[in-house]
Amino acid sequence: MVYWLLFWSFLKVGFLGFGGGLAVISLIQNEVLSHGWLTQTEFVDIVAVSQMTPGPVGLNCATYTGYMATGTIAGSLLASFAIILPSLIIMLTVCFIYDRIRDRWQNNKVFKIVMRIIRIAVICVIAHAAYTLMTPASFIDYRSWIIFSVALVICCIPIFVPKRYRWAQALDHPMLCILAAGLVGYLLYA
Amino acid sequence: MVIQLFWTFFKIGLFTIGGGYVMLPFIQKEVVDRHHWIEESEFYDMIALAQAAPGVFAINTAIFIGHRLGGWKGIIACILGAALPSIVIILLIAMCLTGYKDHPTIEAIFRGIRPAVVAMIVAAVVRMIRNL
Repeated sequence: MVYWLLFWSFLKVGFLGFGGGLAVISLIQNEVLSHGWLTQTEFVDIVAVSQMTPGPVGLNCATYTGYMATGTIAGSLLASFAIILPSLIIMLTVCFIYDRIRDRWQNNKVFKIVMRIIRIAVICVIAHAAYTLMTPASFIDYRSWIIFSVALVICCIPIFVPKRYRWAQALDHPMLCILAAGLVGYLLYA
Repeated sequence: MVIQLFWTFFKIGLFTIGGGYVMLPFIQKEVVDRHHWIEESEFYDMIALAQAAPGVFAINTAIFIGHRLGGWKGIIACILGAALPSIVIILLIAMCLTGYKDHPTIEAIFRGIRPAVVAMIVAAVVRMIRNL
């Protein structure tokens, strides 16, 4: 029963997706590939579209994957619902606790340590996702590697150049990066 | 209030491209600066908690703000507002794109995009390691 599996998969992603959009995406990737719902290439395309369209990237990815996995609108709505549901449960609990410990939580030592461990785990999960996406289907020839290298350098500039340089921060723009890469792809391959 | 919440998040969901961290300044502008619904220090607490929790960051923030301002109705209004534009737009694209998937031009464009997407993910890892 694909709908049940889909619901369960995205529920898991919602509960375990610590660390924002890309972490959520890498968990979705894991689910999608292990169930054989999509190929890696199809999934990379979904990630690209998710980053270019308005709204939260993780949610976009869930909606799109739900549609592609089942071919139905019901599948996409189910996946979206399943990824939001854990947020609802967790955030309601967080709100409840926050109202009580409001002034103390940010300096809490245990909280800080737990957050740090989670952050390191998230980095590993995302790095692994990047590694598994480097397939021959996405990297078809040397031109792919050139696009990859140039894009990587451009995306890293805003990370290492100090914030006061406006031009560098302007490069930190996923949609522009994808549009430019699409244009390059068109010029090189069409 | 409920309608205003829905409308605010709907606008944010419709006009911000690039995910939660791009939405954040817009949410702050609307919720803190424009409507004065929440104080700035409390807003930063919310952001930190929404980030620490698993799931889609923008949705977490929407739930927090909805809960604070309108209880259950507020939560539903904020979630629907933030999620609807995204779901509708993606569905339209998914339905259109599946028909043109094998079109040579579309395929050429995506051949360029795929390595760049992987590069963006690697760059995100670099950023996270640096900020650790």
